[in-house]
Amino acid sequence: MINIANKSLAILNSKAPYGTTAGKDALDIALIFGSFEQDVSLFFQGDGVWQLINSQDGEIISVRDYLKTFSAFEFYDIENIYVNKTSLTERNLTNNFHIKEVQVLSQSEFSKKLTSHQTVLRF
Amino acid sequence: MPFLNFMKQRYFVKKIAVIITTPPFSNLTVTALNYIETALNTGVEIIGVFFYQDAVLNASSHIRLANDEYQTTQQWLKLHNKYQLPLHLCVTAAEKRGLTDCNSVQLIANSFTISGLGELVELNNKADTVVQF
Repeated sequence: MINIANKSLAILNSKAPYGTTAGKDALDIALIFGSFEQDVSLFFQGDGVWQLINSQDGEIISVRDYLKTFSAFEFYDIENIYVNKTSLTERNLTNNFHIKEVQVLSQSEFSKKLTSHQTVLRF
Repeated sequence: MPFLNFMKQRYFVKKIAVIITTPPFSNLTVTALNYIETALNTGVEIIGVFFYQDAVLNASSHIRLANDEYQTTQQWLKLHNKYQLPLHLCVTAAEKRGLTDCNSVQLIANSFTISGLGELVELNNKADTVVQF
């Protein structure tokens, strides 16, 4: 049914995790593409970097903690996770992420990686 | 349409898939509609439109926009009828916003097909370019 042409998809996350459902909507797309064995990479910039920061619990403010699902990425073969270093620095955040295999990239490396994908979706 | 065919051969016309994420009362949806109509008028193939997030509201048959506003819902219907434009609705996003395939009341306009994110995977693979609004 699915033609496995396998184009690479980049999902660009730029929103903080709890104010909107953007992060969850992006995650759903990532997992579906992963389960269809498509090539997916995740990018985090701007307030989107908050989605990667450790020791958060959405349940305290009654948000289903979708960030926990990030730990399932390896089972979906989602291995390319990039975060913008400038966005972290601007928010005084360190590389204290709740998942492994996050690659911190400079602004130029980040945009170079992003534009190497055939499709970019932003949330 | 010999001229159009000539243009197609000359400038490899692409297959485009479009993702809409904005509601029917957003001007961003109007931008998307103008983009799609121009593409179709020029002979570009739009293989499908996928409605995600608040864009699923575009499929509601109960949306009433003020008369002096741009009628996005009618425009979707027009493009669907004129060009057989496939309009796919993300079922999860739709149900979250009260749009279900209900037997007694028609909530979703006939021009829309209820699909899932798997359809987005397929559109992404079939299209040369995916454009998100």
